[in-house]
Amino acid sequence: MRSELEPQLVWCFSESLHLSLREPIRAEVRPKKTSLWLAQIPFKIGQPKKQIVPKTVERDFEREYGKLQQLEEQTRRLQKDMKKSTDADLAMSKSAVKISLDLLSNPLCEQDQDFLNMVTALDTAMKRMDAFNQEKVNQIQKTVIEPLKKFGSVFPSLNMAVKRREQALQDYRRLQAKVEKYEEKEKTGPVLAKLHQAREELRPVRDDFEAKNKQLLDEMPRFYNSRLDYFQPSFESLIRAQVVYYSEMHKIFGDLTQQLDQPGCPDEQRERENEARLSELRALSIVADD
Amino acid sequence: MEPADMTNHGDDALSSRTGAPDGDDRLSEDRSLVQQRLAVRELIDTEVSYLHVLQLCASDIRSRLQQLPQGDLDVLFSNIDDIIKVNRRLLHDLQETASREEEQVQLIGNAFLEFQEELEQVYKVYCASYEQALLLVETYRKEPELQREIQGIIEAVLPQAGPSGLSFLLVIPLQRITKYPLLLQKILENTLPDTSAYAVLQRATSALQDVVTNINEYKRRKEVASKYTKVEPLSLRERLARINTHTLSKKTTRLSQLLKQEAGLVPRTEDKEFDDLEERFHWVSLCVTELKSNMAAYLDNLEAFLRFWPQDCNLEIPGGPVVQYCYLARDLQLQAFPEFKQQLEAQVWQPLCSLAKTLAGPQNLIKKRLDKLLDFERVEEKLLEVGSVTYEEEAARHTYQALNSLLVAELPQFNQLAMRWLGQILCTFVTLQRDLAKQVLQRAEDSLAQLPHHHLSEPAFRKLVEDALGQTSHQLHSFQENFEKVLPPPTTQPLLPGAERQVQALLSKYGPGKLYQVTSNVSGAGTLDLTLPRGHIVALLQNKDTKGNSSRWLVDTGGGGHVPLRGQKQP
Repeated sequence: MRSELEPQLVWCFSESLHLSLREPIRAEVRPKKTSLWLAQIPFKIGQPKKQIVPKTVERDFEREYGKLQQLEEQTRRLQKDMKKSTDADLAMSKSAVKISLDLLSNPLCEQDQDFLNMVTALDTAMKRMDAFNQEKVNQIQKTVIEPLKKFGSVFPSLNMAVKRREQALQDYRRLQAKVEKYEEKEKTGPVLAKLHQAREELRPVRDDFEAKNKQLLDEMPRFYNSRLDYFQPSFESLIRAQVVYYSEMHKIFGDLTQQLDQPGCPDEQRERENEARLSELRALSIVADD
Repeated sequence: MEPADMTNHGDDALSSRTGAPDGDDRLSEDRSLVQQRLAVRELIDTEVSYLHVLQLCASDIRSRLQQLPQGDLDVLFSNIDDIIKVNRRLLHDLQETASREEEQVQLIGNAFLEFQEELEQVYKVYCASYEQALLLVETYRKEPELQREIQGIIEAVLPQAGPSGLSFLLVIPLQRITKYPLLLQKILENTLPDTSAYAVLQRATSALQDVVTNINEYKRRKEVASKYTKVEPLSLRERLARINTHTLSKKTTRLSQLLKQEAGLVPRTEDKEFDDLEERFHWVSLCVTELKSNMAAYLDNLEAFLRFWPQDCNLEIPGGPVVQYCYLARDLQLQAFPEFKQQLEAQVWQPLCSLAKTLAGPQNLIKKRLDKLLDFERVEEKLLEVGSVTYEEEAARHTYQALNSLLVAELPQFNQLAMRWLGQILCTFVTLQRDLAKQVLQRAEDSLAQLPHHHLSEPAFRKLVEDALGQTSHQLHSFQENFEKVLPPPTTQPLLPGAERQVQALLSKYGPGKLYQVTSNVSGAGTLDLTLPRGHIVALLQNKDTKGNSSRWLVDTGGGGHVPLRGQKQP
């Protein structure tokens, strides 16, 4: 919402903002006549000639609000992505557990002791990892996603407050225009009475707008800056949760590797091993050549 | 392929001629010795020239046949390099025996016994691909230009190959392996029976005979198997073409046989050994296919996980843990995890797929065996009833027996190999997990070291975070409250109909300054309280009631009396 008047108007209108005063320039006003002045609907009234909110103030306001709108967008996106990421993480863990579970339920386990041992060890490891993963996700939920939600829940109130300020601004403009309309007219008795009335009406509305404006201009930067302290603990917690989880994972799978007696070997060697196994099978007549 | 069928024109041209013996009995012992020596010489000399020809084939000729694709060359020459390796060592051992005159024969016997296994392994493979090689040679023969070129190359290197060039060369290893028993037999015939040398040589001769037999058997099995294991994609037309009256009658006969079996009308050919094997194979297949589909699900989930990038958010926070995390997460997402996924695909998924594919062959054969078994049983029945069977019916029995023995021989091996491979694949899966954890830890611990509270223990840190979040939660709450305090501005509401006159009346009585509009519905509680709808205009008389309470105002509604009312009003 911008005022539509010429750029050379610089305004101050009350002590609370401490700006310098200049003479207004007359511009076209389009007032609308209605029968009941009390029932005038704001949006049909013309714009005031005075630029009631200085450009610098408006610019400051827009900048601060703009930053907060960005922040709102980013925190909402972060929350969504974080949730999706943890959901996918849980799904992965669950499918790993299924691998060992299905192996364990194969009748071969009853016939083959070595196979049973291997599969049991694998199953134990997968289940433990799943438990740790759940813990990790819980920690992330508590220290990252919940706080993000809380942070995001302030924005609706902020947006509502900004809307109300805007409404107040509209009212202010409307009444200001009205005052100016009467000021232009020939100073007859009834006109003066009406002018006085209009001015009386204007005053509380103007005060209200100024109050809102000031409040927001104070609070918005404070809220914006609060993010710095707010998010650092969450992200610190996030990193630590990863370290805790992957330490366990390293230990559990390291132990399992040793238990299964399979030393690590370089990729090429594994490839050769796989080729060898395939060739062994293919050497059998009952295996189809393809 | 039988030894008697092979022509030795390759050998004849290269070996030394044996002298014709005269039939003098008095000198039989000496003659035997001479013959023995000659036979030994023949063995070694022919081995030398055999090896020489092989080497010429493998190096000179093969390298010059450049117009043929590599795949063809692999089939034609098969594992000739392995054959050369084995025979070279055999020859070396045989040549060493020359210095040990008395024991030479025994040492030769020992040498062959030592090499028996290797010879079987290596010639088995060559033999199995020989048929296919011959097919290739046939195709080349159909192209005169190509045929001329090939012939030219061969003649340049080995002029004695003659007009049938390539096929002449390719059959040489087969001829050789079947010659060994004959060569050894010749030495044996001229050896004194009581000697230890005789015993060893006899064992060696029968061992090499076994080798030839085994190679034949292997070839036959492969032929039977390849007939039934082919999983060809057939077009609809091809499928229809296969269904002729013959196969239809076969299928219906089998079905009725199966039904008879199920109904107990015909005794089922019990074969516990086979059933156990088949059951085990069935479980092995189940294991493999389940693992494959579970692994696919795991990989899908991994892919989904890698799609989300929470670290891409921009909170405009210049430093500290937020930035640390973003670096860490980006690093992991760009390097550690993709590497893990790649390795998983190459070293776990691909092998699993290959393993799963090998299941098809045995599955087909097992099915075919059952079909043939039903045919076989019907044939047996008919034999009992009628007393004779047709040639085709006999053939069904032979096929069933061939399939059965083939499966009984090889299923245990298959099961064992498959399970071994499966185990290795699982171990690789585990190792890759460990390696991933190590990668992530290395990077994460770096980030951790730069965090402000890295020195704290985990429980202490968690308490700290809880407290911090509690505090900031309060702060947020106060922000929220502050924003909510920004109240709606005073808006004038549209007047209720019919109120215009009332308003004018109040206006004239009190003046505009005292007129107020009710912003929200007010319902009076006590008897002196007014109930007013929103939008109603009233005139203020006093902004506090008789008791001085300023939350209740005394107003004139333009109609009724003056009564105090509560509620919010806007001027």
